[in-house]
Amino acid sequence: MKPSLGASALQAVWPLAASILIGLIMFKLIGPWSGGFASKVMLVAGINIVLAVSLTIVNGFTGQFSMGHAGFMAVGGYAAAMIVYYGSMRLWGSADFAGGVLSNAGDQVSFTGPFIGKGDWLFIVACLVGGVFAAIAGYIVGLPSLRLRGDYLAIVTLGFGEIVRVLLQGTPDQIQPWKAATAKDVPLYKLPLMLGGPKGFNLLPIYTTLFWVYLAVGLTLILVYRLKASSSGRAFLSIREDEVAAQAMGVDITRYKVRAFVLSSFIAGVAGALYGLDIGAISATELGFQKSFDIIIMVVLGGMGSISGATLAAIILTILPELLRDPPPVWPAGAFVLLVMVIVQAVRKRWNIKSLVVMAIVTAVLEAARQYCVSKGINIAEYRLVIYALMLILMMILRPEGLFGVNEIWDYLGLRSKKLAKRVRRSQKGAAA
Amino acid sequence: MVAATASILMEVSGLSIAFGGLKAVQNFSLRMPKGCLYGLIGPNGAGKTTVFNLLTGVYQAQTGEMLLDGRRLNGLKPHQIAAAGLSRTFQNIRLFGELSVIDNVKLACHLRGRHTLPGTLLRSPYYVGQERAMAARARELLAIFNLDDREDEQAKNLPYGDQRRLEIVRAMATEPKILLLDEPAAGMNPQEKKVLADSIERIRRDFGLTILLIEHDMGLVMDICEQITVLDYGVTIAVGPPHEIQNNPKVIEAYLGAPMDPKELHRIS
Repeated sequence: MKPSLGASALQAVWPLAASILIGLIMFKLIGPWSGGFASKVMLVAGINIVLAVSLTIVNGFTGQFSMGHAGFMAVGGYAAAMIVYYGSMRLWGSADFAGGVLSNAGDQVSFTGPFIGKGDWLFIVACLVGGVFAAIAGYIVGLPSLRLRGDYLAIVTLGFGEIVRVLLQGTPDQIQPWKAATAKDVPLYKLPLMLGGPKGFNLLPIYTTLFWVYLAVGLTLILVYRLKASSSGRAFLSIREDEVAAQAMGVDITRYKVRAFVLSSFIAGVAGALYGLDIGAISATELGFQKSFDIIIMVVLGGMGSISGATLAAIILTILPELLRDPPPVWPAGAFVLLVMVIVQAVRKRWNIKSLVVMAIVTAVLEAARQYCVSKGINIAEYRLVIYALMLILMMILRPEGLFGVNEIWDYLGLRSKKLAKRVRRSQKGAAA
Repeated sequence: MVAATASILMEVSGLSIAFGGLKAVQNFSLRMPKGCLYGLIGPNGAGKTTVFNLLTGVYQAQTGEMLLDGRRLNGLKPHQIAAAGLSRTFQNIRLFGELSVIDNVKLACHLRGRHTLPGTLLRSPYYVGQERAMAARARELLAIFNLDDREDEQAKNLPYGDQRRLEIVRAMATEPKILLLDEPAAGMNPQEKKVLADSIERIRRDFGLTILLIEHDMGLVMDICEQITVLDYGVTIAVGPPHEIQNNPKVIEAYLGAPMDPKELHRIS
């Protein structure tokens, strides 16, 4: 029973098509509609989703503990920035923006450019090459992981991240944009190392927009999910569950661990490229272990191995600190979640009154606290980092396995059991016939 | 009884390993004809599981040679030995607890497939066909042990006896030539043991498997095994068919202790 050619071509292409669609919707509709600040937050959230999901491959699927994810991000980011910056200089003699509509982060109305400009092609190539550079770094770091486990691997990856940071901080000054003409005189082997050193790599042309970020988000989510559901994905998970048993069942754990590192760092490299070309500057100082921990928190909070969990955690952890600056009323969100819970429980015909009551109480308490602060003139924004940390601690006490554990969100919404029920019914019918 | 002319599938000679000063297994030899059901017994700590770990590459033997179908297994990694056709279960159950029952089996089917990253990510026709074949095969194997109706449960949520059976199914999914079962009946009640013995007989017959069995339950071993090796303190003390083993004084001594010398008895009292 082989699928037809058309069906398999569709299988191969629809993730890209869907991702382009998501990107366009975010860029053309949701971005302009929600305004400058909100769309900036969405962009950062998107990059964080890509990072969290990529780290899920190593920390979640194979159960290795990598603490150097920001290092891979830095490798990819710097490589992409270097290609776009010096590439522009060598190819068309200036480091200015040369992209089309899709890369134009500024005013949409007055922009007069092609739909896709020459700079966009350079940008796409830069993102992919950034990913490849990060993947090579991932391969090199993955190799010692053959012998190391747990804490030891964590230390090695932490060390890797710091080595990348220190090396990048030791690079020579960059060629400033107004001296673009001189870039042609610098020998080609020297150019890629002129990355600005401790001052960071600045004044890069900005290409990253909601379109590119959500294109990457869509592709990452779909492809990593396909990976998780595949036989290679099961091999990853088996390593996390029990290395000895995995080997005995014929899984070459060395190969799969390295594979996980390479894939994960490729995606992190692309995310790094998007990150660097979003604010027009990339600085190794910001991509130290602090950044690695931010990503780890997202993965742990979402549930080790859960793609939708990591996604949700990345969104929440990006938006939460911003929301706490000027907290809006809590009750609409609480009421919405309650409504969803009621609908889900009604559909499944399995009532969990306790969960509803808890949710209602939590909403009421949060709302009361907010009202109190507002009436007393207490500025919540000052306490936002404390609140943020407290929420993380509470989360780890109440639900140590993360939001969704290893499962995906639809496992909790009852979609999977419906599918199962359908299959059971079908098999019963088959038996009766 | 296996005919004497049956070809030897697995031949192990002079296998030894010591952990520091402890000689865990000494000079272990084994000749397994194709299709036989071979028992490996011995008191606690005799080195039975160590033998399994040596055969499957978890430990590297310090001396000796292992041949499977004429192929040397020494120095191979566990996954290479699995690929060569040796599969095992574990004494302390080692299922992939968080994975579903069927995924445990599908993971073991993985070994005989071809997996490329582009194929996986783009869902190529080859990949889709292979995944379907794996699922079908996994269900087939699960059905033999009546586990097919629990395929979507997490493995760690299965009752103990089912977990033991799932381990056997998983090991069979690698399409082994030889199946090593490490105390498959541990913790089972007599009824379950009987069912298990029937299943073992059946898979041996239907799949033409050769089976090496470690077991504490003497009844089970004596019933179904054709040939038995007895280990004590890492040394092979007896080899032979069940009825010989049952009456072997050395074996009785190892299990029950030596009959006491009357003089000794006198001195103690």
